[in-house]
Amino acid sequence: MKKIWIIIKREYLTRVRKKTFIISTLLFPLLYMGLIFGMGFIAENSKQSLHVALIDSSGYFTSDLIGQQNLSDKSSDITLVKGDPAPVIADHKAAGYDGYLVIPALNWKEGSDSLLFKANKSYGSGSTAAVEAKLNRIWLEIKNDSLQIDSLKQRILNKHLSVTPKNIQDEKANVKTAEGIGYVAGFLIYFILLIYGSQVMMGVMEEKTSRIAEVIVSSVKPFQMMLGKILGIGLVALTQFFLWIAFVLIVYNVSIASGSSGMATEMVGSMQKIFTSVNMPLILFCFGFYFLAGFFFYSSLYGAIGSAVNEDMREAQSLSFPITMLVIISIAMMSAAISDPTGPLAVWGSIIPFSSPIVMMARVPFGVPGTVPWWQLGLSMGLLVLGFIITVWFAGKIYRTGILMYGKKPTWKEMIRWAFRKN
Amino acid sequence: MPILELQNLKKYFATQKAVDDISLSVEKGQIFGLLGPNGAGKTTLIRMITGIFYPDEGDIIFDGKQFDPVNDVGYIGYMPEERGLYKKMKIGEQAMYLAQLKGLSHSEAMAKIKKWFIRFEMESWWNKKVEDLSKGMGQKLQFVTTVLHEPKLIILDEPFSGLDPVNSNLIKDEIFQLAQSGSTIIFSTHRMEQVEEICNHIVLVNKGKKILDGTVKQVKQDYKENLFRIGLSQPLQELSALAPFELAGHQDDSHVIKIKEGRSPNDVLRFLLDQGLSIHSFNELLPSLNDIFIRLVEGTPTARQFQAMNA
Repeated sequence: MKKIWIIIKREYLTRVRKKTFIISTLLFPLLYMGLIFGMGFIAENSKQSLHVALIDSSGYFTSDLIGQQNLSDKSSDITLVKGDPAPVIADHKAAGYDGYLVIPALNWKEGSDSLLFKANKSYGSGSTAAVEAKLNRIWLEIKNDSLQIDSLKQRILNKHLSVTPKNIQDEKANVKTAEGIGYVAGFLIYFILLIYGSQVMMGVMEEKTSRIAEVIVSSVKPFQMMLGKILGIGLVALTQFFLWIAFVLIVYNVSIASGSSGMATEMVGSMQKIFTSVNMPLILFCFGFYFLAGFFFYSSLYGAIGSAVNEDMREAQSLSFPITMLVIISIAMMSAAISDPTGPLAVWGSIIPFSSPIVMMARVPFGVPGTVPWWQLGLSMGLLVLGFIITVWFAGKIYRTGILMYGKKPTWKEMIRWAFRKN
Repeated sequence: MPILELQNLKKYFATQKAVDDISLSVEKGQIFGLLGPNGAGKTTLIRMITGIFYPDEGDIIFDGKQFDPVNDVGYIGYMPEERGLYKKMKIGEQAMYLAQLKGLSHSEAMAKIKKWFIRFEMESWWNKKVEDLSKGMGQKLQFVTTVLHEPKLIILDEPFSGLDPVNSNLIKDEIFQLAQSGSTIIFSTHRMEQVEEICNHIVLVNKGKKILDGTVKQVKQDYKENLFRIGLSQPLQELSALAPFELAGHQDDSHVIKIKEGRSPNDVLRFLLDQGLSIHSFNELLPSLNDIFIRLVEGTPTARQFQAMNA
């Protein structure tokens, strides 16, 4: 036991003191937020503003109506062609347009019509959607006018009924918040499993390639060596988490103290609203549990692979592919589980050990025991504990043989045979 | 009392009998040579002694008691053939880590590391990383980490590979010193000239079996071919059938002779004196361990064939 502790200490300290740890701790939240905001920003700015010539044969469209819409919606610009349309049709580029639309001589009482946006470039439906929406608003006004519907009648016509799910057993489980927390928690566990799982693999590979493995196993059991590494790296991941939480709390408190109302304060404020609106202690407990248990489950398998291969990174990648696939399948199941947290896929995905760390974490915010009955949570946790005991045992057996084996890369079949061999 | 006794040790792998019924005993304070060609089973044997493998059959008696890997590894220092250190770890911390894994406390380890670092003039290396060291320096550090915890039994597998003559001698002297101060050393190699120089007792292993066991002196006696070298003032003439020896070769003014069965060196000298020859040197030629090694191992394939197992 004392020796495992010495190994944990080394694994932990060498990693935490590295510059890469400090940099990744600082950079990850920035990257994560950058990803979220950046994607929205790019989506917002990448739409093209089309300059469209409208050739109207129906006589309904007037410059007035179009002008009003152009003022309120600048995502595209529609110009009514007055006079002879021939030059525009002949060469819309020269006339200063990206393309043109011809409205046929239609009767407004008839059904919808499909118009063609003619241009000498291909445009995605994303670019024409803005034009379509604008055109439809103008068209609606024309129709309202003809039917003599005033703004009051229009408001009445626009009234919709909406259906929002509400959990009456667990008042705190707000669906929108639950979805948000589910996504964040699921993705965090996903990142942790992949990043720190491969760290375990690289760490074991380092011991093998630097030929220190045999020196160490003459002092400690290979199993202790593996366990020490997994626990040490798990602690590094936990440390990183605590630093992030501390970071958020500091920003929160500082912004309250300084009384500024920047974006950060708003964000932290809304975060606090979220935290008080759900069963936070339970979610945090589950997060801690699934994070650690899932980490044990996967990192021991990654460790076994690291022990089996030689210095070649490609060997490691090809052997670890099935394991990485399991994590990726879990994240795909998570999306399904969030949109239907009581469906069979969600229930089974959250009980079977390989996917339960991610899928169950996505379901728990919807409410326990409302959405996730206690027995499901208990079964899921029990099976995951059983699961990681089996993978750690299995990995330990492979590790013991693999760590002293140099030469050809073994296949999965051979590795399984190692696991069932006696000492 | 022997420090280590192996009794009918066996270890079979799926494709071969790596160690097939080996018994031997190592006395305290001995420098014990474990010899054998590549793939003879030396490493497997050593891994059982260091607790890395469990034997399939047989017993290991360490220091008078049944070998208990969990506790006894603290009394063993092992420098494997496939050895190395963490490249990115500082040298001082690395030595400390390995010492603590052997069960030393922080303060004990610190005192011993300092002593050894001063002895090997490595004090200034403390904060360097292994990747900054030359190969020879790395080997010195490796040796220090092997013997740091003052093990009763030290196992060195090819300890001189990668060392220049100066550092080789340094390590060799340390090995003698350690043996003198009561440590026992098992020394595994296939470099025979080092064995003759260092070891008192040797065991030769081939194909998983022990084929030779004895002191260096004894083994040489056992395998001598009654060859002598004589220096004469004038070359030997035709030998009569009565001569108690045959010529086995000559160089310059000395001859190598092989004494016939049933005759003694005295017979040879008498014969030569009777001939009126003046002798200025006469000495026995003992086979080198290298010759014995090659003679015993020759004919067996160097790379072991895979043996069929009927398990």
